[in-house]
Amino acid sequence: MRSFILVVGMLAGLAAYAQETDTTEVEDYSQYADAELAGDAKRFATQKVLDQSPNKLISIGYDYQSSYFMDLAYFGPPDVQGLIASPERVTNSFNSGLRLGANVPVISRNNIIVNLGGNYWETRYDIENPENVTNPLALSLDRYGLRTMGLSTTIFKPFNEKQVLFVLAQADLNGNYSLADIQSLKYTRYSVFAIYGWKMHDRLMYGFGLARTYRAGEQIILPLFMYNYTFPSRKWGVESIFPARAHLRRTFNPRSMAFFGYELEGQTYHIANRGNEFDQWLPNNADDLELRRGELRIRLMYERSIKDFIWVSVQAGLRYNWRFNLDQGDFYRGFTGDQPYLAENKIGNPLYINFSINLVSP
Amino acid sequence: MKLRFFTLLSMLFLAATGAGAQTAEADAILGVWETGSGKARVKIDKVGEKYVGKIVWLREPNNEEGKPKVDKNNPDEKMRTTPLLGYRMLKDFNYSGEKTWEDGTIYDPENGSTYSCEITMTDENTLDVRGFIGVSVFGRTDVWKRVQVKKKA
Repeated sequence: MRSFILVVGMLAGLAAYAQETDTTEVEDYSQYADAELAGDAKRFATQKVLDQSPNKLISIGYDYQSSYFMDLAYFGPPDVQGLIASPERVTNSFNSGLRLGANVPVISRNNIIVNLGGNYWETRYDIENPENVTNPLALSLDRYGLRTMGLSTTIFKPFNEKQVLFVLAQADLNGNYSLADIQSLKYTRYSVFAIYGWKMHDRLMYGFGLARTYRAGEQIILPLFMYNYTFPSRKWGVESIFPARAHLRRTFNPRSMAFFGYELEGQTYHIANRGNEFDQWLPNNADDLELRRGELRIRLMYERSIKDFIWVSVQAGLRYNWRFNLDQGDFYRGFTGDQPYLAENKIGNPLYINFSINLVSP
Repeated sequence: MKLRFFTLLSMLFLAATGAGAQTAEADAILGVWETGSGKARVKIDKVGEKYVGKIVWLREPNNEEGKPKVDKNNPDEKMRTTPLLGYRMLKDFNYSGEKTWEDGTIYDPENGSTYSCEITMTDENTLDVRGFIGVSVFGRTDVWKRVQVKKKA
């Protein structure tokens, strides 16, 4: 009986060893080169090039901008002499806020991938000495900050081994609302882009497309150029959807990579007259204000796996102001529109940092 | 007495043929399969009661130095010199009925990650291989196609 247990134990041990390291079997692997697919199988391009940064399924982040000035234009009524007051300079001590995101594949097959996503971003302001500030936009930002909540769907459709289509549709609710009193859905802003591309080989994919977006702060339609490339050494790469973002990538290994580049961020935010801050400046029409905020983030980023599929991402850089103007209502100005802004503001360009923990996709 | 013996024999026969059918269905996964990207072929075998799969062909078998690719992205340093050809990337699958094999893992040599995995045979030449993290919703399905190896003359 004892020898029987011993033999069973040895066999179990051998089986476990074979399970881990079936790499020493002598087999003629050349026989598998000459083979063909059974049935009417078709091959499709995958959505990424080799070593491209992983998709984030869930992201929990925090964003912080250091102190900067704001020269906020006057948009109240002219004084008795018909003069318009000069811009008011205020200092914002910092911006901070949570950035939460989820992007989960609901259909994931070789011939189509459909992701559904949701995000919540907030930007809190801290205006110095608000009791001495008269500009109602500054007061509103100091009291309520800005929020963005959005839903999105991303579709990747390869037609064959080479030609692919990317489509993104997004609906965002942006404004100075609170979570307890979310603004009306009539202020939902829609963005969409489509890119038709070619995957030339495992390390190169490019494409051309069109976007209707609010990234520069207001509605704009612009062409896109996608270029994702990994150099033959696989130490360097490029990940870009120009002009929205472009990064040079340094891959240390598939679990650790750094980036240098930029991203254009922005939205149009509905500014409600929540605390009657705008009553004196706009006594009759303070209900339809839109803050056009667009910013360029020039940055260094480092991402790495800290445990299996949990990745940490740290970025630091310059937040360069692109636009921080007030409009009344959301309308299409485009590149050539000459509709005047209600207020054209200038703000400083502080340093910023961003930290996030992410669950990444297989 | 004769009737009882006949009943017993019938039951044994039914049990044996039922088990045989179940085994045949479970073994339908055996063979050589090409991954969705077409970059690798994987041979699925049966070891004991478990189904496993090893890489038997790579579209690009050599690295940039012209040497056979090794598992250089493995988080375990000791494994980084193991050749990818012959690497067991599917492990521990059990047949759970309804053309599904589960409880296994799949290893992705491109990033050195191991995922939970479930395989479903959608037709005799197609496998849905779903790698996931924790729960199936956080995953990705790769569709593998059976390849027919041509016999050498």
